[in-house]
Amino acid sequence: MSHDLKEEIAREIAANKILVYGKGTKTAPRCGFTLETIQFFDNFGYPFEVVDVLENVAKREALSEMTNWPTLPKVFINGAFFGDTDILGPMAENGDLQTKLEEAFGGPAPSAKQTINLR
Amino acid sequence: MIENDALKELIRAELPDAEIGVFDRTGTMDHFNLTVRSQTFKGKTLIEQHQLVYGALKGALKDGRVHAVELKTIVVEH
Repeated sequence: MSHDLKEEIAREIAANKILVYGKGTKTAPRCGFTLETIQFFDNFGYPFEVVDVLENVAKREALSEMTNWPTLPKVFINGAFFGDTDILGPMAENGDLQTKLEEAFGGPAPSAKQTINLR
Repeated sequence: MIENDALKELIRAELPDAEIGVFDRTGTMDHFNLTVRSQTFKGKTLIEQHQLVYGALKGALKDGRVHAVELKTIVVEH
């Protein structure tokens, strides 16, 4: 794994409390699962960033190696890896995710919606 | 593209006791819903459980036989 890529990823993870590595961008997702993840976090009302790695094979491999997780999207919250919505969905259902996000952001989301549609 | 049975075999190579449900989401045999039940998941976090299954599918995901997986893992207690 290239040292530069590792540093780039570490920098991105440190700079964003919620970071999604996916296929396509927030406004133009190019994969159903990436879209689902964007909609998932839209519902929480906290700011989040999406980094498009669809065309960047080296970076995708570096990320897979780091996380032992071969698929996209990959979600990081407060620097820790949280897999994808298969992990985050159950965490939202039992309230763990809300706690995690409030810790990360130091309080409830300013624009959180009343109901959270998980799927 | 991969047959359901071949997919199950890949998972059972890592998790021999696994009971596996496979659903082809798109009819193209490369986007799957998978439900995996195993005793091996006991005491592991959800992420670790998924990492075990993904470890088994690593090759198939890399060479494109499997494009996308929606995964559910269930701990078998006994």
